[in-house]
Amino acid sequence: MASLVGAALAAAGVVYQAILRNPLADPYLLGVSSGASLASLLWYVGWLSTSAATLLAVGQQAFALLGALASVAVVFLVSARRGRIDPVTLILAGVIVNAVNGALYLLIYFTHPEIVARGGAFIFLVGGIQTNLATQQELAAACAAGIGWLVLAYLSGPLSVAGLGEAEAESLGVRIHRLRWVGLIVASFITAAVVAVSGPIGFVGLICPHLARLMIGHDQRRLLPAATALGAVLLAAADAISRYLTADQFLRTQLPVGVLTGLLGGPFFLLLLWRSRRRAEAVA
Amino acid sequence: MTLLNASNVSFAYGDRAVLPDVSLELFAGEVVSLLGPNGSGKSTLLRVLLGTLRAANGAISWNGRDLRAWPRRALARFVAYLPQSPVADDEETVTDVLRKGRAPYWGSFGLESEHDLQVVSQVATQLQLHDLLRRPMAELSGGQRQRVFIGRCLVQEPKALLLDEPNTYLDLRHQVELGMLLKSLSRDRGIAVLMASHDINLAAAMSDRLVLLSNGSVAANGAPAEVLRPAVFGEVYGLPLRRVEPVPGGIPLLHPELMLQSIRHGA
Repeated sequence: MASLVGAALAAAGVVYQAILRNPLADPYLLGVSSGASLASLLWYVGWLSTSAATLLAVGQQAFALLGALASVAVVFLVSARRGRIDPVTLILAGVIVNAVNGALYLLIYFTHPEIVARGGAFIFLVGGIQTNLATQQELAAACAAGIGWLVLAYLSGPLSVAGLGEAEAESLGVRIHRLRWVGLIVASFITAAVVAVSGPIGFVGLICPHLARLMIGHDQRRLLPAATALGAVLLAAADAISRYLTADQFLRTQLPVGVLTGLLGGPFFLLLLWRSRRRAEAVA
Repeated sequence: MTLLNASNVSFAYGDRAVLPDVSLELFAGEVVSLLGPNGSGKSTLLRVLLGTLRAANGAISWNGRDLRAWPRRALARFVAYLPQSPVADDEETVTDVLRKGRAPYWGSFGLESEHDLQVVSQVATQLQLHDLLRRPMAELSGGQRQRVFIGRCLVQEPKALLLDEPNTYLDLRHQVELGMLLKSLSRDRGIAVLMASHDINLAAAMSDRLVLLSNGSVAANGAPAEVLRPAVFGEVYGLPLRRVEPVPGGIPLLHPELMLQSIRHGA
């Protein structure tokens, strides 16, 4: 399960960074994770989940998926102009939607103390690999992410020129506006599919594309599979470590893997930045 | 052979008409320079001809086929475009950049054929880029960078090149070298070159034809020796010019009146 989540997040990260032309882009930038977190929390608000369950025939996982997709949809609608999306507007809209989702999350959190009492809220903020998932839930997430990944791989040719200027990319035969729509929607979809089961695990989607780039270079077509594999390995390792720490009674409580990736990922990312700056200075 | 036929093309950004009415033809094997002051619509015209900006009115056809009927990928194999400031990541290598020029030929999943790599290698040899292939773009000089981007255009194996001020970052020697390269491409392979330029005299020296744009309309169009009239150019550029002929019967030069005077008076 951890490998699947890691792979999906890393693949989505590659695509986001390419299309948004921003090395700091990660799969949560456009509101996927905050939407899923909010929806998961809402699930704990009794009457909402019962009505959703009866009306839409969905479980908590599907409800989180819907939340994620809804907030991405809002971001796209806000930033699209005449059917075209501009990366900068999109990022701004994503930041705003994330902030609103976060505020709503806190609002519900404080107005519904019974959720706090049940202790179910934190997992949706930090993210962790749950062990109590039904096979059906895992399969659903795996299928969604797998199909999405194949679409992204199919598009990896055009995606490799998506980072150029608009006219440049079009002059190389790529319908850049259509590619942005398809690429971002598919990447958001696979992110949503795994975030719905794991909560927002940080840094995997940001770090793995950079690591892969350091190892195999900039070619998008090789970057996608490489980052995917890295994501799978890294998150599985982080998950194993967090379980080991927990089992060893070292921390006396279940440590969500999201805490670990954040703690390790942050300094590692700073190291990368520092190294690339030193190299830039050496060149200049 | 007529590669490009644009008739009565117009384009506007919102209410502002940038190109009121332009007609232009481009033939195989000729080098044409697009001249005109800043804001005269040179870059816009190139992008309209390429189809990345949609013309409001008029007809554009490449190789006898209406622009709107061309699939993007097919057009990318026919026409290559070099923007004013092409984009590359600092850490990308020269090979990475060149290979992107084959994007219109890649299969699904971005798969490259053996032929794609051969073309990249041939272009690298032709432009003397072989020693640079593994270098990151950040380490190249302005002239080397521009050669790489021209290389990316050639890797597309186009019949026509649209270049937006390709001389911008080049010193005099590289400008002349680029001119010779473009000339040989047009002569040996029949490639048509249409380039926007700010240097009237350099353009005259290396072009078969000059097209002067003024406020989005064609003010002059023809062989350098016929077209280079100080009155016409002087009015378009808003500056008194004088025609000088270093070699009688050769390609004339246009110089600003003011500069000639100050040189004469030793000022």
